[in-house]
Amino acid sequence: MIDEGLGFIIMVVIESAGITDIGRKRKDNEDSLFLDNDLGLYVVADGMGGHLAGEVASKLVVDTVRDYMKRFKEDEDAEELENFDETLSKEANRLLSGIKLANQGVYQAAQSNESYRGMGATLSMVYFTDKTFIVANVGDSPIYLVHDGSIELLSVIHNVMAEQAAINPNEAELMGEKFKHMLTRAIGIEETVEADICENQYFKGDILAISSDGLSDKVSPDEILDVVRNERPAKACQALVDLANERGGDDNITVIVLKVTDKHEKGGIMGMISRIIYPLKKIFH
Amino acid sequence: MPILTLTFKENTIAVYRVVKEKSVTIGRKEDNVIQIENLAVSGHHAKIDSVGDGFLLTDLQSKNGSFVNNELVSSHWLQQGDSITIGKHTLTFSYDVYEKKPDEGEGKMDQTMVMDTDTYRKMLGKAGQQLAETRDSEQEPVGILSYLAGGDGEIKLTNRITKIGKSPSSEIVVKGIMMGPTAVVISRRPKGYSLSYVGGMTKPKVNGEVVKESVDLKDFDIIDVGSAKFQFVIDK
Repeated sequence: MIDEGLGFIIMVVIESAGITDIGRKRKDNEDSLFLDNDLGLYVVADGMGGHLAGEVASKLVVDTVRDYMKRFKEDEDAEELENFDETLSKEANRLLSGIKLANQGVYQAAQSNESYRGMGATLSMVYFTDKTFIVANVGDSPIYLVHDGSIELLSVIHNVMAEQAAINPNEAELMGEKFKHMLTRAIGIEETVEADICENQYFKGDILAISSDGLSDKVSPDEILDVVRNERPAKACQALVDLANERGGDDNITVIVLKVTDKHEKGGIMGMISRIIYPLKKIFH
Repeated sequence: MPILTLTFKENTIAVYRVVKEKSVTIGRKEDNVIQIENLAVSGHHAKIDSVGDGFLLTDLQSKNGSFVNNELVSSHWLQQGDSITIGKHTLTFSYDVYEKKPDEGEGKMDQTMVMDTDTYRKMLGKAGQQLAETRDSEQEPVGILSYLAGGDGEIKLTNRITKIGKSPSSEIVVKGIMMGPTAVVISRRPKGYSLSYVGGMTKPKVNGEVVKESVDLKDFDIIDVGSAKFQFVIDK
């Protein structure tokens, strides 16, 4: 499946593409993705729990978050937020509510149906507001930001190895590969879940890549940097998936690449206008 | 090729290199590649074979069994850092730093799973490691901006994003005709804080350098935003 497009969100023009590929070893694709430039929402979920349950979980997560965020696009007043976190923006709070809802949905589905028991999914998403983009994640699907020629992991990896590495790097190294696939958090496993979140200013030329571990286990951040800087999103996605498959394709591979191709600059004339309009707005409000 | 480090009570006794196409036998008797003279070890206790691009440990029906990472095994695909217990001795399996490790194939723990919190703690406890409490944002180091000019006191950067500008909705309001409604934002990211210029004629400076886009903040950085001057410090 490939999806690509060009869109406008209030202040920003984004070119994006996403692919999900079954890989070379698995019989099913348990990854799901969603991207929409009008909504400014980009989501990857990596499901787990065999016999199609993983597929069900990842799809449920993506659909829930998508529908929840759509509501605000259609109706600005659709506010029903519990536990509003004052340290976060309004949009970040919405995103967290969407994640909570997705968690409840998967958890309940898993509890009520024997064949879905134990299913869960990772969730990594990027959401654009008029001036910033918000990154939120649960699990180990990475979100990278490419800015000014360098690549940075913006998501927090919730697996045993990464959490140990934060405490004691030497011991984590000795723990072995298998702990890499052992998550400490996922959507739908427990009644509640806590996501990691951060909010950032964007700039023209910024690139974001969201992927499942089927890609990040096979392709290094520097290689991702190289591909996304030199290719347009659709071609970059395909090149990354091909690379992961050439190296074994042991897991499902999903990647979304999005590029900020234009930004409403507020310098010069526009800056002057906004400085005039701004006080006027205050008068008329 | 990977190496096996033989230790006894935290003392390294010997280091063996595992070679392709050649089994490494482990036991008490002299004809073993790795000989361990201890009564807890069977004559021919276990062996390690190179299979494909991986290495397989097989217990040769030894009297006291073979353990990998404290679990009794009859056969086990060895992975970086595995700790094999034979009697009271330990063999640690590890690849050279630059060595290519085999891809984890099917059935070799490549399935993603969620760690049960209790099991996780038990396992870590056994390994003598510090308990990993779920990290929450309260435990992350918090950045602080201290006013050096244009104001008094300090501001804790607990928010994921802190706005500085003329707009009354900014967390830090700095007046000035050239100041943008939001001139600067400071984002709290997993690896630390990052300062970005947003808009307006006044561009921020960090340590005297004009910031046109964004810059990572370090301890003791000096930040100028128009008439205000701050020092950034990390509260550990």
